[in-house]
Amino acid sequence: MKKWYALFFSCFLASYVLAQNTQVSVYVSNGQQSAIAGAEVTLKTSSALTDASGTAILKDIPLGSYVLVVQAKGYASYEKRVQINLNNKHIHVKLRPEVTELKTVEINSNAQNLRKNNEARNIQIVDQTFIQRHLGGSLMTSLDRLPGISNIGIGSGQSKPLIRGLGFNRVVVIDKGIKHEGQQWGADHGLEIDQFATGEIEILKGPSSFIYGSDAIGGAINLKPVNIPLNQGLGGSVNLIGKTNNLHYGSSVNLYGSNKKWFFDGRATYQNYADYRVPTDKVYVYDYEVQLNKNRLRNTAGRETGLHFNTGYVSKRFKTSLHLSNSYAKTGFFANAHGLEPRNVDEAMHDASNRDIQLPYQKVNHFKVISRTEFKHENSRTEVELGFQRNFRQEYNRYTNHGFMPPVYPSQMSIPINLEREYDKSVYSGNLKHSFALNQHQLQIGANVDYQDNNISGWSFLIPGFQQFNTGLFVYDKLVINNSLILHGALRYDYGHTQFERYDDWFLSQIVDGNTTIYKKLNRAKRFGRDFNSFVWSAGVNYNPSKFNFKANVGKSFRMPIAKELAANGVNYHYFSYEKGNENLNPEVAYQADFGFGWTEKRWSIEFSPFYNYFPNYIYLNPTPYHDRAYGAGNQIFEYQQSSVMRYGAELKINYQLLSNLSTEFLGEYLYSEQLSGSKKGFTLPFSPAPSALLNLTWSPKLNGKLSNSYFSVDYRLTATQNDVVPPEKQTPGYQVINLQLGTTLSTKKQAFELSLQVQNLFDANYLNHTSFYRLIGLPEASRNIILSLKMPFKIN
Amino acid sequence: MKKIAALFAIVLLIFTSCKKDDNSNEIDTEYPEIVTTANSAPLQCGVLTRGQTYTFKATFTDNKELGAYSIDVHHNFDHHNHSTEVNQCTFDAKKTPVKPFLLIQNYDIPTGSKRYEATAQIVVPADVDPGDYHFMIRLTDKEGWQTIKGLSIKIQ
Repeated sequence: MKKWYALFFSCFLASYVLAQNTQVSVYVSNGQQSAIAGAEVTLKTSSALTDASGTAILKDIPLGSYVLVVQAKGYASYEKRVQINLNNKHIHVKLRPEVTELKTVEINSNAQNLRKNNEARNIQIVDQTFIQRHLGGSLMTSLDRLPGISNIGIGSGQSKPLIRGLGFNRVVVIDKGIKHEGQQWGADHGLEIDQFATGEIEILKGPSSFIYGSDAIGGAINLKPVNIPLNQGLGGSVNLIGKTNNLHYGSSVNLYGSNKKWFFDGRATYQNYADYRVPTDKVYVYDYEVQLNKNRLRNTAGRETGLHFNTGYVSKRFKTSLHLSNSYAKTGFFANAHGLEPRNVDEAMHDASNRDIQLPYQKVNHFKVISRTEFKHENSRTEVELGFQRNFRQEYNRYTNHGFMPPVYPSQMSIPINLEREYDKSVYSGNLKHSFALNQHQLQIGANVDYQDNNISGWSFLIPGFQQFNTGLFVYDKLVINNSLILHGALRYDYGHTQFERYDDWFLSQIVDGNTTIYKKLNRAKRFGRDFNSFVWSAGVNYNPSKFNFKANVGKSFRMPIAKELAANGVNYHYFSYEKGNENLNPEVAYQADFGFGWTEKRWSIEFSPFYNYFPNYIYLNPTPYHDRAYGAGNQIFEYQQSSVMRYGAELKINYQLLSNLSTEFLGEYLYSEQLSGSKKGFTLPFSPAPSALLNLTWSPKLNGKLSNSYFSVDYRLTATQNDVVPPEKQTPGYQVINLQLGTTLSTKKQAFELSLQVQNLFDANYLNHTSFYRLIGLPEASRNIILSLKMPFKIN
Repeated sequence: MKKIAALFAIVLLIFTSCKKDDNSNEIDTEYPEIVTTANSAPLQCGVLTRGQTYTFKATFTDNKELGAYSIDVHHNFDHHNHSTEVNQCTFDAKKTPVKPFLLIQNYDIPTGSKRYEATAQIVVPADVDPGDYHFMIRLTDKEGWQTIKGLSIKIQ
């Protein structure tokens, strides 16, 4: 009742109205509705403390839209964009306790909406709460629920991002300001990111080259570091994870600490999983029937560890942080068929344990050290980011003499007999950015530079070793015309150089020329270099009058051809393809127009984001009708070519609040791609996700004082048939999947327990995912999986 | 509830209106076929004798136009490969190759063929290792769709 009294009272206080200015009353309470006194309330330039009744009065506020900030000791800081008009002068703010929700300080949906409305491109923001709720086998499977986002998965623990159907080297992953560099080009390579160690995740749909340079032609995933507020003392959290499908168990332990100026944050993650299960007991590799033992996909078990340490110093003018991390994973590949190659295996040996990792498997280690420093000047800010990372990937497989390789592996070889491929990449990166304001202009100028050294090993060859240097300069201007209109403009210039190393086969191939037959070591890669230049631009607008918001962005993006596209020259037995690079490729260019229309009412909101995309010279791997004897061991030639491509599509998001604790959501995505020229004219692009819709119903009951943030949520996903395919893809039938998510936070006096439970594929549907690596051999997606996750935050004081 | 129904109606409209309805330039999404007939040679679990010449025979078809094919015969002494066929053959014991037979050859198919009776001479030298072999046929059509047939055979 106290609250109503306070509100009522403040109405009287605020009832006199000036022509343009008004008085705003803000009532601050906690989740249990009791008033918080002494909270600092800031709106525009005015600021006031709440009185004993929890109310703060801010005078002389001009009508308009502002960010309301409320801070109180012991509570998470609150940030929200509010519209101040004659009907909305009284605001009720509920603060959440700080201890249990430390990690969500900066993150609440309103702050996210505010940022969305300031950004001309389509942006999605999620945080650890989302990850916890939708925890998948890897970061990308957790994000798969978002409209326009899908993933290319292999097995249960690895997947790489696909934004509006573009993936591999067309999507950039930025980790703490530095571009994450692994082996993005490989369909069977995952993303070496520990999903527990990420802070907020920003997903930019559509070309983002002007900020992130080459490769961001399809979009960017920006993983922000975990934000450690100052003056927290020591604390941490323990996550425990269990999954029924692949008998997964894991834990992630975090310890952080901060005082007035310094902070640190450490994390260790360990995950261990067995072979995953599919809702079938046999799969057909061509016509050959492979029996699965207890529905388990032989040899898909894995182990993952992640170690992270961040530390930093913050003062008024200067902020610096150092981030160290190492991710390691060892994961097996399905033994009976790797890609398309049917393999005869010792099933009894594999079935003896479902947790062992036999051949074929891969080991990946990714080490990173990143330094970020920010200098605040009077009216400007300078940011410096420096990074070093090393990605070391090894693929182990039983030696098989493909093509003209000797039948018995020569004993004098220095490469281990089971090491099929090895990629060793070291990358040095640096970013410099200066932001300043000039009248209504908010300007950013920046430069990026990176150098990478790639070495290869293994008895199989696909791409040669290479060195690469890239640098770019950009300027970005955000012109704030008024509270509801923002214009954006950006220009960027890039230069890149790639230098390839020569590679000769270690074995002799039989070359028949007319009547003469000779044996020689083939030269698969010659020493050559390529230089690339590119100039791109982008222009955008945000218009947010009130309930309606509109954004538009047009721009040119680019991508430099990658090593595989320029210099591949070997057989990929996963597809029985002889992949042949083309050293004359031009940088890929894309023109894109993006739009966003939104309408927000009290009980519902709608967001519609259509786009149109045109590539004059999309680089793609074209399966030709020909075979190659000498270099391709009789396999089909797949050649890199360029053709013009048109793509369009849209995402739709609707939220409707049925009752105060019952809400529903609709997420839809549609994508169409077509090649307009070249030998695959009329065909789509590979890995095109089918149209899909997701219908959600969420009940968030207020249970009792001890249980908070409780939710019970059902996702019903409907995916249409994908008939648009390009060789060697297969048409994929549509499917329906139901996932459940439920969770609650139990708070006792000393301890909070954040519990979340998920049931993925509730009805054990047998369906195929068009963008899965194993789609071609008709392997269904994982069967029912119950995921239990418990997070226990703690404080040591 | 009416509002929701209306919203979904709109959604459906948007999604259905996006569907393309032009099938004017229909694309080929069919794989070529390797048809096994009584004349085909070798057959699954077939046996070739060293020092003899065989004629490879297969019938290829495609809905539009065939591309090319290749043959690859390699040893399977370690049983690493599996055939693509329903029937399984009995394998000899695993062994280490000394001089296994290896044949990799690619062949053209006359342009415009929808059906092609492929024949090719295969000489099995007298001095190669006898044992289990894998006989692979890779057939493409003009669009680049590829069909693979992997047969288990024996050389004696």
